[in-house]
Parts: sequence; C-alpha cells; structure tokens
Amino acid sequence: MNLYAPILVLGGIALAFGVVSLVMGALTGPKRYNRAKLEAYECGIEPTPQPIGGGRFPVKYYLTAMLFIVFDIEIVFLYPWAVYFDSLGMFGLVEMAMFVAAVFVAYAYLWRRGGLEWD
Amino acid sequence: MNPVNYLYLSALLFTIGAAGVLLRRNAIVVFMCVELMLNACNLAFVTFGRMHDNLDGQIIAFFTMVVAACEVVVGLSIIIAIFRSRRSASVDDASLMKW
Amino acid sequence: MSMSTAATATLAVTKVDAPTIEYGKLSPILIIAGVAVVGVLIEAFLPRPARYRAQLTVALVGMIAAFGAVVWLARDLPDDHRGSVTAMGAVAVDGPSLFLQGTLLLIGIASVLLIGERRLEPAGGDAFAPQAAAAPGSQQEKDAAAAGWTQTEVYPLTMFSLVGMLLFPAANDLLMMFVALEILSLPLYLLCGLARRHRLLSQEAALKYFLLGAFSSAFFLFGVAMLYGYSGSVSLDKIGVASAGAMDNDALLLIGLAMVAVGLLFKVGAVPFHSWTPDVYQGAPTPITGFMAAATKVAAFGAMMRFFYVALPGMRWDWRPVMIGVAIVTMVAGAIIAITQTDVKRLLAYSSIAHAGFILTGMIAMSDAGVSSTMFYLVAYGFVTLGAFAVVTLVRDARGEATHLSHWAGLGRRSPLVAGVFALFLLAFAGIPLTSGFSGKFAVFQAAARGGAGSLVVVGVLCSAVAAFFYVRVIVLMFFSEPKVDGPTVVVPSVMTTAAIALGVAVTVVLGILPQPVLDLADKAALFVH
Repeated sequence: MNLYAPILVLGGIALAFGVVSLVMGALTGPKRYNRAKLEAYECGIEPTPQPIGGGRFPVKYYLTAMLFIVFDIEIVFLYPWAVYFDSLGMFGLVEMAMFVAAVFVAYAYLWRRGGLEWD
Repeated sequence: MNPVNYLYLSALLFTIGAAGVLLRRNAIVVFMCVELMLNACNLAFVTFGRMHDNLDGQIIAFFTMVVAACEVVVGLSIIIAIFRSRRSASVDDASLMKW
Repeated sequence: MSMSTAATATLAVTKVDAPTIEYGKLSPILIIAGVAVVGVLIEAFLPRPARYRAQLTVALVGMIAAFGAVVWLARDLPDDHRGSVTAMGAVAVDGPSLFLQGTLLLIGIASVLLIGERRLEPAGGDAFAPQAAAAPGSQQEKDAAAAGWTQTEVYPLTMFSLVGMLLFPAANDLLMMFVALEILSLPLYLLCGLARRHRLLSQEAALKYFLLGAFSSAFFLFGVAMLYGYSGSVSLDKIGVASAGAMDNDALLLIGLAMVAVGLLFKVGAVPFHSWTPDVYQGAPTPITGFMAAATKVAAFGAMMRFFYVALPGMRWDWRPVMIGVAIVTMVAGAIIAITQTDVKRLLAYSSIAHAGFILTGMIAMSDAGVSSTMFYLVAYGFVTLGAFAVVTLVRDARGEATHLSHWAGLGRRSPLVAGVFALFLLAFAGIPLTSGFSGKFAVFQAAARGGAGSLVVVGVLCSAVAAFFYVRVIVLMFFSEPKVDGPTVVVPSVMTTAAIALGVAVTVVLGILPQPVLDLADKAALFVH
C-alpha cells in the first residue's frame, strides 16, 4: 500500500488543481454570453460550414500543430531522465539543463518572430 | 508469443511504406509512407531489444520518434511552400527539371 | 550504452552509473552547435538591420575557433596516431575524424563567405529569397523585396548542417550516425528551397531532395535495425566483433549491410542513387550548392569509410564486389551523361557523380593507403567544387545567373581572369597534372591497384579521359568562340567571394605542385580507432 501512496497523493493534487481552477474561473472571470459562446463547441472551429470536399483549413492550424509536436516530443527524453534522476546526479541535471535550454532558444525564436500569434 | 512475428510485421510495414513512396502521387501521401517506414524501423528496434534482452532498442525508438517529428516539420513546410506556389501537391507536377 | 543494466528494472528503480562525456574532445562540434544556437538567438532578439553583420561575425569566428580546437586535438593524439572514443563510445576522436573535421570547417568558412556575398544582385540583397514563405510572384513577395528584406536564418541553418557534418564521420555507433545524418540533411533540405531567383525550380529541388532523402534515411534506419538485431548493439566496434566470424550467410547481417550502404551511397550521390543530384544542384541557390557538393561528400565518405572499415572489415568479401560494381557504374554514368549537359550547374552535378565514383575507388582499397588517398581526394575535390560554384555565381545577366552553357561562349575574351580561374578548376576536375585533381586521382588509383582492384583502375582511367573531353569542351567554348552580343557580364564581387575563390585556387595549385605535406598528414591520420 505504501508503494501507491504517492500516486494517490498525486491524484489528489490533480483533482484539487482541477476543482480550484474551475471554481476560481467561475468566481473571478467576467461573464459575457454571446452567440459564439452558446454554440455547441467552442474550440476555435465553427461547426459549419465544414471544410469537406474542396474546402481547406487555414495554414495556421498546421503551424500550431507542428509547434505542438516539436515541443511535445521533447518530453520523451525527460521521462527516462526523471526515472533515473537520483543516480544520474549532477551530470544528468547539467545535460538536461542544456537540452531544455536548447529547446527554449527555439521557443524564444518562435515567440519573437510571431509564431504564437493567431492573427 | 514468438517475437519473430513482430519482425515479419515490421518488414511488411516497411515494404508497404516503400511501395507507397514509389507508387503514390500526392507529396503528402508519399511523405506519410516514409513515416510508415520509420515506424516499421521502430517496431523492429523494439522487437530486437526484447529478443536481446537489452533496452538499447527502446532508447533508439525514442530517438527515431524525435527525428521523425523534426522531419515532419521540415517536410510539411516544404510541401506547403510548393503547394502555395503551384496549387498542387502532386509529385508529377514537380517536373521543371529533367535530365 | 549502459542502458542494458536497466533491462531487469520493474517498478523499483535500479542504480545506473552516470555516463561520462569528455567535453574537451567534442569541442569542435560543441563550438559549432553553440554558434548555431547563438545564431537563433540573434534572429530572435536583434533588430533586422543588425542581424547580417552579427550572424556573419559569429559564424566565422566560431568556425575559426572550432578549427583551432581540431588542431589542438590533433596535436594531442598519441604517437601511434590512434585516437580514442568518447561519449560512451558514441563518438570517435581519431585521425580520420579530425582530418575530415578540419577539412569541413575550412570548407564551411569559404561557404559562409559565399553565402554572405551581397554585391552580386543588382537590386541588393543576397542569393536568398527575401521572404521564403511568400508565394513566388505574389504581392507579398514584391513588398518584401521592395522593403529590402533579407533572411539571415541561412547562417544558423548552415551551422546546424555543419554540426551534423562534423559528427557524421566521427560517429562511432549507428544511432549517432543516423542522428548526425538527419542533423546534416534537414537544414540542407530547407536551404535548397530558398533561392531568390527561379524560385519554382528552387522549391522543386527542395521537394525532390527532401522526399528522396527521407526515403533513403528510412532505408538507412532499417539497416541499422537489422544490424542491431544481428549483433545486439549499434556500436560499430561490437558489430565488427560480431561480424568478424560470420561464416554462414546471416540474413540479418547482409540485409543490414545493404540497407545502410544504400543510405550512405545516396548521400554521396553514387549511381544508382544519384537521380536527385543534378536537379538539386541546379535548383538550389548556388552558394548552397557549393557548400552541399563539397561538404556533404566529405562528411558522407568519412562516415562510409568508418562503417566499412570498423564495423564490417570481416565482411569485405561480401561487400567489395558490390561496391566495385557501384564505383564502375558511377564513374561511367557520371562521365557519359555529363557530355550531354547544356547547363553549367548540371554539368558540375554530373561531374560530382563521376567524382563520387573515383572517391569510392580509393575507399574500396581496404588499406591505410586507401583511407589516406580518399581523404586527400576529398580535400582536393572539396575546394575545387566550391571554387567552381563560386565562379558560377559571378556570371550573370538580367535574369540572374546565366547558367546555360551557350551563354558562356567567349567568356575568356570578356573576362580572361574569371574564365581562366574556371578553366583551372575544370582542369583540376579532369585530373590534368600540376593540379590537385591529378594528385588526388593518382593517389586513389595507386591505392586501388595495390589493394587488388585493377579492373577499377582501368575503368577509372578511361572515365577520366571521357570526362576530360567535356571539361576541355567548356574551356574551348570560353576561349575560342565569339562572345554573344547579349551575353552575360561578369559581376565584380566583394572581398568575400574573392577570398573564397582565391582559397580554392590556392588549394588547387598547391596540392597540384606540392601535394606531399598534405599526403603525409593524411597518411598519419589514416588509422581508425577500434
């Protein structure tokens, strides 16, 4: 049972984070209802007209998706390092810091050159 | 289950990918076939890692995934650039240079 | 890799030993990687007008520093000139690595000088598109050109590519080799598509290079998987040990060998994996073509030699006949198809295919002399190629570079100096005595003959004769025919292109007249670490 206690604690923290975020949002955020907000989905794409058969998605979706993949895939190197964090010691920390720094340089370039702006 | 079966699957996927690269006309589909070939390599690496009882194969699969992601970004940007100037992503249309 | 100790790990975390990396021994690679990262930061944070100067300075200073590091490491090599492996056996720091890295850095310096040239376009700017994302002919593109924009991202991209090239011949395990191959290739795919003039051709070149390059690297990777399956490791040394006693025809070993070889032969542009070469060389911006033609060959032949000499010496009776066949077909096809070409850049592309065949001749010798002669040839070829493409950037008419051969008629009367320099490079390609091409060809043919590949030498000499025909034809065209009325003019470049061409001329002449010091250096550097 002791073995799983950290997982339970982590689950508790995750649950608390979710609840706190929702409650805080509801309490502090402005409430302006309009037509777009009352649509069935609110994830950026209008439900109709759908770009099937000739229509095309704007290229900015592609850009965002690509950025997501590039930054997301870096995580695969963080997992093994995190598992052996203790025994890799200072060496692992320095190497990972260099790796993350390199990724952040790319991120800084992206941000400065307007890659994160939607319009 | 005998791990050799996974190797057969991997070889099959690789062949399907290679055939797709040679036969399909749309640059994006061609490119997806290349990705299929890389994934076939990953399957082979993981299977061999299991057969040799070491983790190198799985580590290599990580690296392949990252390389494949980088290749996707570079490749799609080239394909999009060429699509914008020609309104077509067919590899048959890219024929200004011959011999 | 120490990962295998973790094989039995379940939920409980076992101890692993932290690996060690000797950063000093990797310093040339790390310096260039740092330069590339700084280049990205310059793009992010400096205002547009300041970027060009900053990028150029950082790149040149970094490459000179990295060259210094290579020299320092080479002096530290032990007396028997065998190097060592570092980064847990993933990178070899030995004679061939350091020799080729030094060559690559010198080629890199000259290439960046060509890339930085801004005096050739009448409207200002360099050889690259003002805004690569804008469609050719669109209003957006015209606005960008009118605003005088230039893209300085080419410098970090070139540096990233150079990182891969430095790592490629030094990679001592196949995973590192694959990663280096991709680091080398991905920026090059992009650079090919960035030409300012003839943008459709340029984009088409990028697409072709990318699709075929990705296809071939998938073959390379599947080959690596097979070799890993055969030997249980991707380390070249361990594959060498495992394959040394391979008597029975092990399918995994043979398939792996063949597929890795396909990936490597694609990169050097050997027949039958050459079809991308002419299109990509023609479409890419000419400074990039020069860089790609010279540096990729150096890096890829370095990696190929290490693969065959370290991992598969025990398999030589299986791969040598095939490689001899590839070398013969490459020399013959390159030389014969080149005769029919009417475009200077395509002519040089087919000439580079033929040269890939000559270089393979040296590699096949399977001896120290083979390694040293191949490395010498790579130095000679690299600088001649770079110089030749540099001259191509100077001959221009209203539509940009005049690459059609008919435009070059009578160039010797209009501009004897430029035509003379180009003629020197062509003679070096042809292997005429007193040029570096002759010394290089002599060295590889001698090594091949001693290595027992006499047939290859005969074909090589015959192909050299055929090749000499079309090189001399261009020289005759330049000097002995009437110039066209509306022919191209030779633009006077800035000191940067002049310096790059002068370096090419100097290396060509010095290696032709006094090759011995460099041959000695290559001899000393010919031992791969095992």
